Formats: sequence, structure tokens, C-alpha cells
Amino acid sequence: MAEMWITMGPQHPMTHGLWTLRVKVDGETVVDTEPELGYIHRGVEKICEARDFTQITPYCDRLCYVSAMTWAHSYIYSAENLLEVEVPERAEYIRLIATEIQRVTSHLMWLGAYSPDIGNLTIFTWCLRDREMFIDLMQELGGSRLHYNFPRVGGVKRDLPVGFAQRCRAKIALFLGRLKEYEMLLDESTVFLVRTQGVGLASAEAMVNAGVTGPNLRAAGVNYDVRWAHPYSVYDELDWMPSVEKPSSVKGADCYDRYRVRMEEMVIACEMVLEALEKIPGGADSHYSPGDAMIQSKAPLRAPAGSSGFHHYEDCRGESMFYLQGGGEGRGKHPYRVSIRSPMFITIPFVAKTMIGYKIADIPAIMGSFDPCIGETDR
Amino acid sequence: MGMKISSQVNVAAAEVAVEAINARFSSAGVEATSAQHASGHKRTYVSITCPPAHWLALAKWMRFDGGVNHCSMITGVHHPDGGPDKGWEVIAHLMRIPVVDQKPGKALVHDAAKLSGKDVPMEYEVMLTLPQTDDPIVPSVQSIWVGADWNEKETWDLVGINFEGHEYMMRVLNPHDSPQGFHPLQKQHHLRYHGHNEMYDDAQGFMRLPVDVDKVK
Repeated sequence: MAEMWITMGPQHPMTHGLWTLRVKVDGETVVDTEPELGYIHRGVEKICEARDFTQITPYCDRLCYVSAMTWAHSYIYSAENLLEVEVPERAEYIRLIATEIQRVTSHLMWLGAYSPDIGNLTIFTWCLRDREMFIDLMQELGGSRLHYNFPRVGGVKRDLPVGFAQRCRAKIALFLGRLKEYEMLLDESTVFLVRTQGVGLASAEAMVNAGVTGPNLRAAGVNYDVRWAHPYSVYDELDWMPSVEKPSSVKGADCYDRYRVRMEEMVIACEMVLEALEKIPGGADSHYSPGDAMIQSKAPLRAPAGSSGFHHYEDCRGESMFYLQGGGEGRGKHPYRVSIRSPMFITIPFVAKTMIGYKIADIPAIMGSFDPCIGETDR
Repeated sequence: MGMKISSQVNVAAAEVAVEAINARFSSAGVEATSAQHASGHKRTYVSITCPPAHWLALAKWMRFDGGVNHCSMITGVHHPDGGPDKGWEVIAHLMRIPVVDQKPGKALVHDAAKLSGKDVPMEYEVMLTLPQTDDPIVPSVQSIWVGADWNEKETWDLVGINFEGHEYMMRVLNPHDSPQGFHPLQKQHHLRYHGHNEMYDDAQGFMRLPVDVDKVK
């Protein structure tokens, strides 16, 4: 049969954002693919060169509207390496709580967006319902619903509000029960299983070579996680193991494995939050005013010329990273260069090639299972 | 208690990596040192300066003998005021990740406290400095790490550093019909912001002053 190119996107339910996947098909079979990105490139790296270190945080929030908290923290840890700032332990615990709650909401948004792709609309409404509980919690911390501007160089903007711990525990208890309902609905749905199992196989070594990390890598049977491999925050003080899934084929993990690993990761994130609320220095029920030495330390505003700082960070979609160069006196308080590693920018070309050999109908199932987010991809 | 790699193991692994690279490449002008992150856990990583001419050889050796299997980021910096010897920088961030393909139904669950040798995760920073030139170019490592491919595309697209031997170089973030020679992260393109950075970055990027110049604070 004659081969032809089909353009999926920029407006297409499969894309979960704004980008184009050009697909070469032979009948129903995908023969070649080519992603086209850049539709929502905002030039964040350039903009950041004209902002001081505190002003950059809101831009990092907006890199990914699904996972603003983790992106802001990813930047903040790099900035602290650049500016040589020590963070109070209580602030580190608050950051951990905030980012792990964000991880749950991000995975819920993924599940909510993924399941309609493969024919299950109910889960979409359930996920958004439960995500709202956690978004409310983060709103208590940051003040706004999706873009929190919460971390500061040297600490956090505000302490946990009074009653936060109680509400958090109650919501997590409710959510962990509901998560079992999700599993009952999906793991026993023939449509879901048929569309995800044995589809989109990707092996661990190939993924690492291509730069794919995070839950997608852990689904292929390796428990590699930046949170323990290059530790930051207080993850080493909590009792946890990253979720890991046993791959279901010699060729690696399929879409179902990637779904399982994220479901498990939500449980682990919730457990980490609960443990952190127990262990937080000063107690989860006390509240320190903004700027208190318990939650924020003083940070310099300028970085010397020629200095640099970087930090590998475990984002919800893989390893994110900021590379910063200090501007020195001549450039005021601005960094000289801000460079952002987006996990999805690297993953999307890999996934596009993973689709080769499968059917057109498998494209949404494969693409969605890697959790694309175009905001961070295009920056 | 949870997953923890002790700092002794981290420092020792970095030193082994540094010695191996220096033993193999110091005659070529490559210099590896252990460096430390400045805040947080103050982990040690391997910092390498490499003459661009030897970058490909070093990358090959790191990938196939040093176990550095993950290319995290390749990025570039423009230094128009850096003096004759430093006009451009290319910085590669690489990682060694303990990964083996798994058989169906099996998983590799590392215990962080028991990792040793090349299984200890390690960060690498490789810095290549180029002199002042209108046509900066370094060897491409696309053939060594698949993950370097789109990083190099992005670096060329945004910063304008070329990668010799890169197949299928193209615009990835800027529009495909951007003018030839337009790379927005080069420092001659300025941003206007409260009077700090003089000029508005016009859509074509060719030094056209905005109509409201001098009027905007």
C-alpha cells in the first residue's frame, strides 16, 4: 500500500498541548514519525536574564501549569547552589510536603487526561474532583490556585497555615481510599487493558540513552530516582522507596506499566507527606511568620561573574534541571544565563520513534502514557 | 531508614572518575577535578574542562568505558565580552545511572547504601570554551548519546553554536522560517525591562529600535 504523511496536531486530542506529530503511515501501520515543537515557545530563558533571582520563580511556575510547584523548586535549588545559600530544615520539610502534594495533583491530571484518550470518561471527572482537594491545600500555601510562587531563595514564602496538617491528613485518607476505586475501575476494564497492555514498549537502557528518566524509566524496572541518587531536600530522612514496576515484555515497559508506576507513586507521595508532617522540626501545627529564621534564611542578591550553579531535580515527568551563570556586579542582580532542561523536550522525540510499528489507533495510548506537557517542552 | 548514599561513597566515586579521566586524557589538555555543589547536601561531582578538539574522543571514552550513559543537558553561552579566548561556552551535563535492561517480571531495586564502583550515580559537568568567532562550532556527540540530539538542536537554534557532524540540524523552538543567523540567546539581542536592559527584542531580532525607545521605564 502507498505510504503517506498524516499531520496530527497542533490541535488534536492526542497532543495534550500544542504541537504537531507528523506520522508516515502504511495503511494503518506507523512507519515513521516526526515531532514538531515550539508552538508556545515564550523565550523564558531570555526573559529570565533580565529578572533578578526572586523574580524568576513565577516564570518557572508557568513553565508547566500542571506541576508549577516542582518547577519553581527545581529553579530554586539551582539558584541556591549558585548563591551558596543554606536553607533551614523546617523550610526543607515544607518544600517536600508542597512538592509531593504537587506530584499527586500532576499524576491525577495525567490520569484524568489519559483515560479519555483510551475510552474511559468517568476517571476524568473523578481525577479532577480529587485533584481539587490537593490544589486547595497548595492554595493555602501559595495563595493562588495553580501558580504558587511559593519557594524563595533560602526558604519558603509562608509557613504551613494553622490547621493545614489536619486538613492534609484528612484529604490524604479520603484520597487513598478513592485511589482503590480508580484501580478497580481501570484494572478491570477490558477496554483499558486491551489498549494499554503490550503497546508502546520501551526498554530501560534505551530510555536512559535517549535521556528519558522519571516514572517512565521506573516503569521499565529500575528504581532510579534523582531524589535518592543526587539527594536534595530531606528525602534522605524519610523512610521511602521510589515506586518501580516490573516490565511486562523483553522489550521493556508498556503503557500499562507506566500507568501502574504512577498510581504507586501517588501512594508513596502521600505517605511521604504524612511522614514529613510528623517529623517536621517545630511541629506541623505551629506557624512561623514570613521571613522567620525557621523558614527562611538570608540570601545574597548577586552572584559573582563566572560563577555557576546547577541542580538535577526529580520533576513529575523526569529529571529537570536548571543551569545558571552569575552575572557579576556589572549586570546587577540578574543571572547571565539561565538554561532549562525540560524532561519532556527530550522525551517527546523518543516517544515519537517508539510509535513506529504500531497502529495509528495506538498513538494516543502511547503518547499519553509518557505524560507530555508542552508548557515545559517549549519554554 | 530510607535511601541514602553516604557522602564518603559519593566523594570516593568522584575521585575514581577524576583519576581515570586525568590518566587517560591529561596529555590532551583535558582537566578533571572533583567539585562540590555549594548548598544543600553539598554533593561532589566531576567537573571537566576539555579542548573542543578532544570532546568527541572524551565523550566516547566516558560513554563506553566510564559508564556515563545519560546526557542530561547540552547548552551554550555567548560571551561577547569574555576576551579573545572566551567567546562561547558549551556546557554538557552528563550522568552515570545504574541501569540494566530487565527481563519480564523482574525489577532492579537498588539499595542506595550498598552501591559501589560504577553503580554509584555520578554527575559530570564538561565545559568547552571557544574563542571569539562568528562561526562557533564543536563536535557533535549525537552519535554517542541519543539524548544529545535534541539538546544540540536546541543549542544551535537558541544560541547559534554549530555542532560538527550533527545529522538533520533544524529549528526546534523558533519558527522554522526564522531568518538565517537569528539565534535569540546571543547577547546582541537585548531585553527591555525597567530600564535595565536597553533594547526591545524585535520579532526579527535585527537591531531595530522600538518606536517607544527612551519613553519606557
